[in-house]
Amino acid sequence: MPGGRHTSRMQHEAFANTEDFGGADVAVTPHRPSRPGQDAPYLNYALGKAYDEMFEADGTPRAPYAALDSRVSTLPLEELNRRQQACEQSFLHQGITFTVYSDNQATERIIPTDLLPRIVTAAEWNRIERGLTQRILALNLFLRDIYSDGRVLKDGVVPRAMIYGSKYYRREMRGLPVPHGAYVNICGSDLIRNEKGEFVVLEDNLRVPSGVSYMLANRDVARRAFPGVFRSMNVRPIEQYPLELLATLRSLAPFHDDVSIAILTPGVFNSAYFEHAFLARQMGVELVEGRDLLVNDNVVYTRTTSGLKRIDVIYRRIDDDFIDPLIFREDSALGVPGLFNAYRAGNVMIANALGTGVADDKAVYAYVPRLIRYYLSEEPLMDNVETFLCREEKSLQHVLGNLDKLVVKAVGESGGYGMLIGPHASQAEREEFGRKIKSDPDNYIAQPTIQLSTAPTFVGNGVEARHVDLRPFILHGSETKIVPGALTRVALKRGSLVVNSSQGGGSKDTWVLGQ
Amino acid sequence: MLSRVADSLYWMSRYIERAEHTARVMAVKLESMIEQTPQDAAASWSRVIEALTGELTLDATQDAFLTTRKLAFDRENGAALITSLSMARDNARQVREALSNEVWENLNRLYLRLAPVTMDSIWVHTPARLFREALEDMHALEGVTYSTLSHGEGWYFLELGKHIERAQLLGRLLDVHFRGPRDGSQNMPKYFDWLVLLKFCTAFEPYTKLYTASIRPQKIAEFLLFDPEFPHSVRFSVDRVTDALARVAPGAPPARRAAVERLAGRLKASVDFGQIDDLMSGGIAGFLADITRQCEKIHETLYASYITYGAETVL
Repeated sequence: MPGGRHTSRMQHEAFANTEDFGGADVAVTPHRPSRPGQDAPYLNYALGKAYDEMFEADGTPRAPYAALDSRVSTLPLEELNRRQQACEQSFLHQGITFTVYSDNQATERIIPTDLLPRIVTAAEWNRIERGLTQRILALNLFLRDIYSDGRVLKDGVVPRAMIYGSKYYRREMRGLPVPHGAYVNICGSDLIRNEKGEFVVLEDNLRVPSGVSYMLANRDVARRAFPGVFRSMNVRPIEQYPLELLATLRSLAPFHDDVSIAILTPGVFNSAYFEHAFLARQMGVELVEGRDLLVNDNVVYTRTTSGLKRIDVIYRRIDDDFIDPLIFREDSALGVPGLFNAYRAGNVMIANALGTGVADDKAVYAYVPRLIRYYLSEEPLMDNVETFLCREEKSLQHVLGNLDKLVVKAVGESGGYGMLIGPHASQAEREEFGRKIKSDPDNYIAQPTIQLSTAPTFVGNGVEARHVDLRPFILHGSETKIVPGALTRVALKRGSLVVNSSQGGGSKDTWVLGQ
Repeated sequence: MLSRVADSLYWMSRYIERAEHTARVMAVKLESMIEQTPQDAAASWSRVIEALTGELTLDATQDAFLTTRKLAFDRENGAALITSLSMARDNARQVREALSNEVWENLNRLYLRLAPVTMDSIWVHTPARLFREALEDMHALEGVTYSTLSHGEGWYFLELGKHIERAQLLGRLLDVHFRGPRDGSQNMPKYFDWLVLLKFCTAFEPYTKLYTASIRPQKIAEFLLFDPEFPHSVRFSVDRVTDALARVAPGAPPARRAAVERLAGRLKASVDFGQIDDLMSGGIAGFLADITRQCEKIHETLYASYITYGAETVL
């Protein structure tokens, strides 16, 4: 134990010992660009079919990665390891952990973080920003439409049954106006980069997206791991996110100056609890659980030591189903009885609005490009992953004829259930699945197998290519704001395409460069 | 301040105080036992166990290794050092937004450092060292709590938790030394034990400054009960509790505030005007029991007034 104590003290200070404080060493040291597979630490760096963020197909480093390469390739492996450990130690001490239960033992693990930043150029970001802004506008117009006139359904752009049959459609929201028509106030879209190097949208997360605290925590450690490189690269700041979020929440409740805002969390056992507490501290708002709130005469109060205090805006991190046991799931102990009626009465604003999930299911996703054209009369600035709707005859024939190349997903399912990964399935499995699709085509969509781009990731004995995605965070109240940064999720297992933290995924900092 | 947050801050602070008390008692005990005969050391362990856990044990069965394990690292033992720290951390995690990064990270690091420690790893060298190091960390934690948190309502709930706990811990420690053994043995504390009692309370040097090095039980009791300036005296803690109560829940209805403050005033009067001569003539156990009861009553009323009150009473 005495030894352990000193080790941890040293790790705590590790960042301070050998920091490359200036940008000078990076800028003036002449450096031959590294080649993947030939130079340390990239000896096991394999370029595959996927687009690689750092290296061109011929193995030369892309220009934005030159400074990082010249730093990383001149540091001894032990030093990279030490910096990686310092990152992990910092996460552990901050309590950025989740709990794993096995053998009746609860162990705390950190969400793995990789110290090498992923770089997005100004031009790339510009496209992403415009594409996502367009998308969130269209999705909000769509939500307003289906919860009021249903014009898009009458015009036959989206099948009526698909919306009214969705388990995320909240009848209770019909005819209820929301401030600025903004149903989705906080969105975290998952983008991926295809083989051609284009960013495309894989998923819109319109319910309670999480991860923004990891974006900020990753910045904190990556900046300390490579201060010189960071300084030399004109990386755009993201620290204003909590401020922008606060402004977005405030804009929902214009009724008086002294708006009282609370974040509603399921509690300390939720895997995103760190984020809830983090945002509450950064914004200076109350963090509340369902049991802290009560509704009287359609007004929401928190119970304080001095008595009851009114709440005007709730940033809820609880799913629709659990938010009010009187209206939704009655077995929910996390929610607040009467909250929905207070919401309907206009006495409290809730972000995101209820019922937004109907717009991010897999079938509606396929319609988003059409929704953009329908509501905005514009062409989509950012593509979807190509998606075949089996409910459309032409697509159905294509899907049935190409089952060996496609991933087929059941619309209402998530988490890998009801899914066929064509290239990995047996002939018998494909035939079986083909019959299921034919018997209920409305329930299935298909996409080509997607190669996520790869980015350099430190793996202990060197730097290797790992698949990544990109989750930027979009804020939408009286206006739309996207902080120039994102959570880059990494599939840490070699070759794996699964970036979810529940399945061995980690994350890394994302450096969006200024002009 | 949210009632739930006040509740967690209060308990976090109580558990930290309990952990610190346990760590100090363990450090002093392990350092001092080498100077005692095995019988005296065992009798002293027996008092320590009773003071820390409330359990009565037979002197003869006390083994330093097993006792240290039980009091420090046995997670089944609700009073063990590691249990208290774990509870303090759990409470802190629930009010992360009400604490500074420094407070959380100090507490978290301390817990993560102690959690994997095994008896075998500390027993080979100087076992007391671990507890001394833990104490240093707790003092650092106390320092950042003082210097990085606003001294507002939340901070006063921390003060309430700390001092209500401290007054009770001190009361129990005094009780087992002054009451005499319950197991019928003749192991009354000896000169060395009184010295150790002062050290349990970080009180040795402050005591000698006031009373010189002449160690007399009566003076020790007077010092640890009634000294207004020493931070580990019952009176000092009661003063802090009274001060803190005036600063929490500023907007609460007057009747509710009065209910708590009246009780605190009564407790303050007991220690302000307590006379050691009266107590030494036989009443010390009763006096200590009364202090403990009053602390419990304050705790209950504090909760009823500010934390668990029925919402219908204020609508």
